[in-house]
Amino acid sequence: MTEQKSRYDSILLEVVWTRMISIVDEAAKAIVRTSFSTLSNEANDFACVLTDNRGFSLAQNSGSIPSFIATLPATVRHFIDEIGYDNLEPGDILITNDPWKGTGHLSDVCLVCPIFRGGQIVAFAATTSHVPDIGGRLRAMESRQVFEEGVQIPLMKIISAGKTDETLVKLLTQNVRTPEQTIGDIWAQISACELMQDRLQRLMDDYALDEITALADELFDRAEAAMRKVISDVPDGTYRYTIDTDGAEETYHFAVAVTVKDSDILVDYDGTSPSQPRAINCVMAYTYAMSAYAIKCALLPELANNEGMFRPIKVVAPKDTLVNPSYPAAVVARASTGHYLPVVVFGALQQVIPNKVMAAAGSPLWVLTQTGINDDGKPYTNVLFYNGGMGATSGKDGEGCLSWPSNISSSPIEISERNSPLFCQFKRFAVGSGGNGKHRGGLGQEIEFISESERPIITLFMAERTRIAAPGFDGGEDGQHGAVKINGKNIDTNTQHVMSKGETVYLRTPGGGGYGDAKDRPTHLTKLDRKRGYV
Amino acid sequence: MSDYSLGVDIGGTFTDIVVYDHTTNQQLNRKVLTTHDDPSRAVIDGAAHLLDAHELDPGEFSRFVHATTLFTNALVERKGAVTGLLTTDGFRDFLEIGRERKYELYDIAIEKPEPLVPRDLRREVIERITSDGAVRTPLDTNSLFTSADRLITSGAESIAIVFLHSYLNAAHEREALDALTTKYPDVSFTASFEVAPEIREYERGSTTVANAYVKPLAENYLESLAGKIAGLGVDATLLLMISSGGLTHVAEAKRTPVQMLESGPAAGALAGAFFGAEDAGGNLLAFDMGGTTAKLSLVDDGEPLIAYTFEAARQKRFMENSGLPIRISTIELIEIGAGGGSIAHTDALGLLKVGPRSAGSEPGPAAYGQGGTAATVTDADFALGYLNADNFAGGTVTIDLAAGTKALDSLATETGLSREQIAWGVHDVVNENMASAARVHIAERGRDPRNYALLCTGGAGPVHAYYVAKKLGLKQIICPASAGVASALGLLVAPGRVDRVATVGFRLNDHDPAELECVFNNLERDAQGVIAATGLDPASTQFNRLADGRFVGQGFDLVVNLPGGPYTGDRASVRQSLVDAFMAGYREKFGRTPPNVPIEFMNVRLSATAPVPGGEVLLSGNKGGGGATPTGTRPAYFPETGYVDTAVYDRPGLHVGDEFPGPAIIEDSGSTLIVGPGAKVRVADTGNVIVTLPEGASV
Repeated sequence: MTEQKSRYDSILLEVVWTRMISIVDEAAKAIVRTSFSTLSNEANDFACVLTDNRGFSLAQNSGSIPSFIATLPATVRHFIDEIGYDNLEPGDILITNDPWKGTGHLSDVCLVCPIFRGGQIVAFAATTSHVPDIGGRLRAMESRQVFEEGVQIPLMKIISAGKTDETLVKLLTQNVRTPEQTIGDIWAQISACELMQDRLQRLMDDYALDEITALADELFDRAEAAMRKVISDVPDGTYRYTIDTDGAEETYHFAVAVTVKDSDILVDYDGTSPSQPRAINCVMAYTYAMSAYAIKCALLPELANNEGMFRPIKVVAPKDTLVNPSYPAAVVARASTGHYLPVVVFGALQQVIPNKVMAAAGSPLWVLTQTGINDDGKPYTNVLFYNGGMGATSGKDGEGCLSWPSNISSSPIEISERNSPLFCQFKRFAVGSGGNGKHRGGLGQEIEFISESERPIITLFMAERTRIAAPGFDGGEDGQHGAVKINGKNIDTNTQHVMSKGETVYLRTPGGGGYGDAKDRPTHLTKLDRKRGYV
Repeated sequence: MSDYSLGVDIGGTFTDIVVYDHTTNQQLNRKVLTTHDDPSRAVIDGAAHLLDAHELDPGEFSRFVHATTLFTNALVERKGAVTGLLTTDGFRDFLEIGRERKYELYDIAIEKPEPLVPRDLRREVIERITSDGAVRTPLDTNSLFTSADRLITSGAESIAIVFLHSYLNAAHEREALDALTTKYPDVSFTASFEVAPEIREYERGSTTVANAYVKPLAENYLESLAGKIAGLGVDATLLLMISSGGLTHVAEAKRTPVQMLESGPAAGALAGAFFGAEDAGGNLLAFDMGGTTAKLSLVDDGEPLIAYTFEAARQKRFMENSGLPIRISTIELIEIGAGGGSIAHTDALGLLKVGPRSAGSEPGPAAYGQGGTAATVTDADFALGYLNADNFAGGTVTIDLAAGTKALDSLATETGLSREQIAWGVHDVVNENMASAARVHIAERGRDPRNYALLCTGGAGPVHAYYVAKKLGLKQIICPASAGVASALGLLVAPGRVDRVATVGFRLNDHDPAELECVFNNLERDAQGVIAATGLDPASTQFNRLADGRFVGQGFDLVVNLPGGPYTGDRASVRQSLVDAFMAGYREKFGRTPPNVPIEFMNVRLSATAPVPGGEVLLSGNKGGGGATPTGTRPAYFPETGYVDTAVYDRPGLHVGDEFPGPAIIEDSGSTLIVGPGAKVRVADTGNVIVTLPEGASV
């Protein structure tokens, strides 16, 4: 053991790990370049991971969004359990979009490539990416079961020893709206897996490595120790926090108990509302990712992700709740539940580490989907994203209109107007929407479109916090809630609407919560707010 | 009668001045500290010194070329003009809302880049053009003047005008620009159609605002510099380096100074391409490593690669998307926080990290003896025997080796490693940082690093080139003479250049190629006018047509070269040639067969170049001699062998045709080239030192 340790000293580990991160980053660049999905190249809605031969994550691409923390390595382990090492051979590529074993909804297709050396599996390369279309209903909140949400790909091989499963490809081609683009993106992911395989082999050649498990263990142990060290600085205890959210007919309730004991953290969502016959259920993998994200932001933000740092973090939730639904629940809009979770965890941690958390942001993400027939008779679908304000922290105001916890850009107005029969009247800060406080929450924004189409436009929304605003912390005020209006009247965002020519749709994304008492706000900031018209 | 050229590159710390004598093919260099209060002072003092010391006749200068980091610094330090923005009613916040994406995922105290124009200096104007270019609401001049008045009353010295869809129909911006210029002759104006006529209001607006922000500065500075140089008796016309690696005239630079933001690095990349042209067949990875950063750029067939967007004034220097997007043509390069002054430390995992924090020049590396206690890359390079403590930077810095060793020893204790392991570790880790960044960057361009030679410049470049090249699997290193000050020479080998862009939204399967021809003709006429105004022969202009193409439905544009035109005659065959050009570009970059989906050109681009007449710059080494003799030996560390007595050569004493094996140390006044065991060294006709690496594992 001592000999093994000395081989992987602080220098070799650093150099080899840096190179592994460059391998996943290189694969990520390949995906951005080759994908059709705008979610890949404008929103980094994909991830590339290298794991050791047990499915423990060594490196994840630097820009990959929090949704994918720990999900891909878990997918690799599901494949190991389901298919078995003995049934894997060189040239295999594995595929699934199982929401429970993947990332929480069918649109994210996961690809895994076992990497062989000397006849043994030494590592896995894995990618997941949001494909342009996976069949099923379009972003429908009303779906009651996963069957309505698209084609399901169980854990299986798409390439077996170099031979493509043409039956699977044919079935997929038949079941999605944009076959060329969806299948094209799957091939782009396969290329990225193969690239990681090639680069890892070269790395192992260069450093004369037969296996990477011992190196991985050294790295995981160090990362785990680093995370345990920062956790043990947090006072022991159980910290609770609850929020209510808009819900549908009635509000939903989120409850969390975060227990810190020595160097372990347990996040327990007992008391959270039951799962719903709507598409907003958030599978456990996503619940874990969002909870671990909050803890990492608070305690160890600067360190690159690997398996070891998440070992001290456990997340549990009772079965059949919003945050741990069972098959075959509908899950496509998991973000509209999952994006609340980091806020809930912060709410609990605020009681012991007030300077390391953020008041609630104006998230979850807002999405406006329109679909219809163009004036030249062709069907089109357009998806527009908008973000609210970030929450304030104990040290500064929240930023206005910034995607959090996800990281998705908003479409430029000039592109939106070009791609859809909508005319934009304004897109501007929602003045006064940030919760007041010693530090103010970030501003949301307001946008208004007029339909220019001779034909009806079907309009769907993903819009949270239209009734219950983003809470402030430590005496900070809540942000302003969001609003969705058609022709000036508030509407129910849970159902689809049809817009005719000349009708207007107005969106106002929520502002972030404030932090600390407003009477402690420094005068120069209050003056600046007035001068710039933020309030 | 002699024929001289003068090149001046103002950097953040130093101003480099080079005089090239075309009759004798000799160059004279002078490096002086940049004078930040009035940058032209260092230029004039330095140039006057060279003229005096070498008794040069100012009347015999035929060319004066200038690059400067002045405008970039103004953006970074927010020291430009008080700037206002006039924009379409309903949209004044686009500049601050931005793309709505985080550049750092885990930082809850993240700060967006502060907009150059605060909200109270952004005013709206009643007007509207739609996405098909039609006027929906005519420009309301009352609202225009009311808004402009308020900005000027609030102190705006420069005003940007950015109206929606002006890339398609600039009528309102033009009308506003004319009306305002007439009414307010003392205020500087920039309209977006003049600077970056491309779709996407945030990127176009950010570029326009940045231009407005530095424009008054450019107007004053360029005028004064031209005047002062004329005062020395030099009557050569002042030419300015633009970011794409070409030259333009003073009026054009004053109109769009934003084009000059990357002029210094562009000169460096051009110099790299020039130095390596003969010895590497034109495919180079130009590697410049100085005190705080390393820069890497790719050169294909002798041409540095061009990018069409970059970021200025990053909030976090080395973090993508943390800066202000600037849509101009620019030499593509990546900057890494890795230099001689980069500080070594351990992270939360106990791993050895190097940079991006730097000791800079104050206090500098521990071995400078100016009070620095942190171990830096330079300290490790001394401990490894790579640098000469008795003659560092030509003897201008006194080295305190003990201080450097002490700093390394404290890291050694922390990690439980030996001094030797730590010194090599620091060298190895910083090399891996640069190699990893290079791998990702090269992969992004769809290239294989093994097809490139490494061209090293900068103070630390030649020290680190050997093991960086090994990590990347490169076969050859080229080290030019005076590698420490090479980049200013790039100014003297640049052609005249104009870059233009237009948004067309051209669908290849149903639009008429004649429309595209018409767009290109307009761009070509405009470019030729600038070439003529630069004092070059418009008839010698070479045009290169490009397009930002995509498959319909894709969000990502690929810039491809198009055939030269004209796109007239048989429509089907013209269309086919355009499709083929896109497909070829797609295959080259992605190595994948493109799918059968319709293609759209979102923007078209034109680059026009014209040679600058007059003396050529030639590279030549010392002739005669033969049989290089080391001036001595010193112990140096190589991972293949450990410390060995290593031959030391004096660079100015080498001659064309000299050959010797590694390990070797080749010293110059500005830098030291390190060659590992098993490599072969040769001095080429150009005077370049060529290192051929041994075959084998590339660690």
